[in-house]
Amino acid sequence: MKVGIPRGLLYYKYKPFFTTFFEELGAEIIESPDTNKEILDLGVKLCTDEACLPIKVFHGHVEKIKDKCDLILVPRIMQVEKREFICPKFCGIPEMIENNIKDLPQITKAPIYSYSADKFLNWAYETGKLFTKSYIKIQRAFDYAIKEQNMFKEGIDDEGFQYKVALIGHTYNIYDKFINMNLVKKLNNFGIGVITHEVVDDNVKHMEVKKLFKRPFWTFAREYYGFASYAVRNQLIDGIIYLSSFACGIDSVIVELLKLEFEDIPFLLLKIDEHTGEAGFDTRVEAFVDMLTRRKGGNLA
Amino acid sequence: MYYLGIDVGSVSTDIVVIDENYNVVESVYLRTKGRPIKAVQEGFKYIKEKIKTNEIAGVGTTGSGRHIAAFLVGADVVKNEITSHAVAALSLDKDVRTIIEIGGQDSKIITLENGMITDFAMNTVCAAGTGSFLDRQAERLEIPIEEFGDYALRSKNPVRIAGRCAVFAESDMIHKQQLGFAVEDIIRGLCEALVRNYLNNVAKGKDIKSKIFFQGGVAANKGMKRAFEEALGCEVFVPKHYNMMGAIGAAILAAERQIKWTNFKGFEIADVKYETASFECSGCSNLCEVAVIKCEDKVIGYFGDRCGRHSGKVAV
Ligand code: SF4
Ligand code: SF4
Repeated sequence: MKVGIPRGLLYYKYKPFFTTFFEELGAEIIESPDTNKEILDLGVKLCTDEACLPIKVFHGHVEKIKDKCDLILVPRIMQVEKREFICPKFCGIPEMIENNIKDLPQITKAPIYSYSADKFLNWAYETGKLFTKSYIKIQRAFDYAIKEQNMFKEGIDDEGFQYKVALIGHTYNIYDKFINMNLVKKLNNFGIGVITHEVVDDNVKHMEVKKLFKRPFWTFAREYYGFASYAVRNQLIDGIIYLSSFACGIDSVIVELLKLEFEDIPFLLLKIDEHTGEAGFDTRVEAFVDMLTRRKGGNLA
Repeated sequence: MYYLGIDVGSVSTDIVVIDENYNVVESVYLRTKGRPIKAVQEGFKYIKEKIKTNEIAGVGTTGSGRHIAAFLVGADVVKNEITSHAVAALSLDKDVRTIIEIGGQDSKIITLENGMITDFAMNTVCAAGTGSFLDRQAERLEIPIEEFGDYALRSKNPVRIAGRCAVFAESDMIHKQQLGFAVEDIIRGLCEALVRNYLNNVAKGKDIKSKIFFQGGVAANKGMKRAFEEALGCEVFVPKHYNMMGAIGAAILAAERQIKWTNFKGFEIADVKYETASFECSGCSNLCEVAVIKCEDKVIGYFGDRCGRHSGKVAV
């Protein structure tokens, strides 16, 4: 069986798990290519206009590989932590895909609750059934996949730069070089190092958000806020760049929270959607870099 | 010695020459009309008559077309619009805390403290309040844009216009006109609506402190200046060269560099024949729209490729 894995949404985070799981069950993996203009255009065309850019891009990836596979992974991720939620769009993504894309092969629809192995296994059984009748085999594939995932080191933590910024945003914005117009490299070229939230331990983030008036409802909010708070307190960074999807409700909440809390830290909000022009984007980045370097007494020109 | 500053924006191209004390000695304002190279050449033709190439000690470019311009003229400094505008304002007054800049197609806000930029925002999405929008409304009301501000100042009872977005503002204006409101009151109402729109969008969440500078083409409009002053409750200053501040900033940045040998190619490039073309690269799935600049059938530059496959080939 050929299993398609679209390079969109949380692919960047959970790729080791899913590839290993399906491979262990004997599948051949078909990954969509890195996001490119064609995929973006396809996504924009197929998806409803109100959706955020990452959802559109995901549509494009599915469309691109749908004819080559028997099953496509469309992860309906509900919860990765107890008492927290991922974005509501993740809960409905299989339905969006089914309604917007014609001539689909089978897609995975079972919900994923990954905060405990028990819960997560439900997804594995539900999906593994399509490959084998043996629960033991599925269990083994699952165990392997978890092991692979745990070995996966995520995150960016640049060293050897004079300045450093916290780059905050969804992984599918930060690691998709086409969508973010190579932001990390651009910053590096300006002499700015980058640190991302995965570098800071989850427990630390849990501790940091305790200071908030109310426990964050969204997993992303806890992760990003917790990271920013830790990085600012320990003076790891000179500024914060938030890479946000246009029309992302979760981002807009987190951005307000960060701005309120860290007033004195230079903050740049970069919003991206399918209309974002590279010239204006670069201007913002450049001006922000000037602002940072000048603060520290660097040469402006 | 003089320094040259060039600001190539989507609507206008401004070129200034400043002396060592940052006084403007020459300036030209041209419409870009989608042809930045032509605009720069036109400007050079004019300046060439007054200033010699060997009097120029440094060149800075800014604006959305800064890279093309830099390549064309041989710039020493290439800077974004935010920094350039701030540098120009600071050179006039060290105490400026807020810069409101509204140009032909975009608007920005810059906040400063102790002569350093602390925050900024740009709006390139919504057209309401930008120069092109005001131009169009003036045209529709059959009033020369230069007099637009005077009309607004004459009004005693401004009409409330919905300014949330350009489309609404326009249709609301037409509606108010049909109801028979005086043109003066409509224009003043429009200025107020655009200022509200600016403060709620571009300037949202920004700390607006005085001293406030108002620059960019729209600053010529006295109605807008007054609407800002009323909304903010303090004086708003419009610098003398309000519509050239980007170019002035770029020139100052070039002067600050104290370069020994400028890269400047000379005003003579005004007479060179350049051709521009573009093609879609099929080198990979990005399908970049690449612009090519040719001179006497020889390709001298590429722009717009994401990977440097083309632009890297030509020595700039
Ligand atoms: S978190 Fe935001 S960007 Fe991500 S899918 Fe949800 S709405 Fe879109
Ligand atoms: S210019 Fe480079 S990135 Fe753009 S399409 Fe060609 S090869 Fe791809």
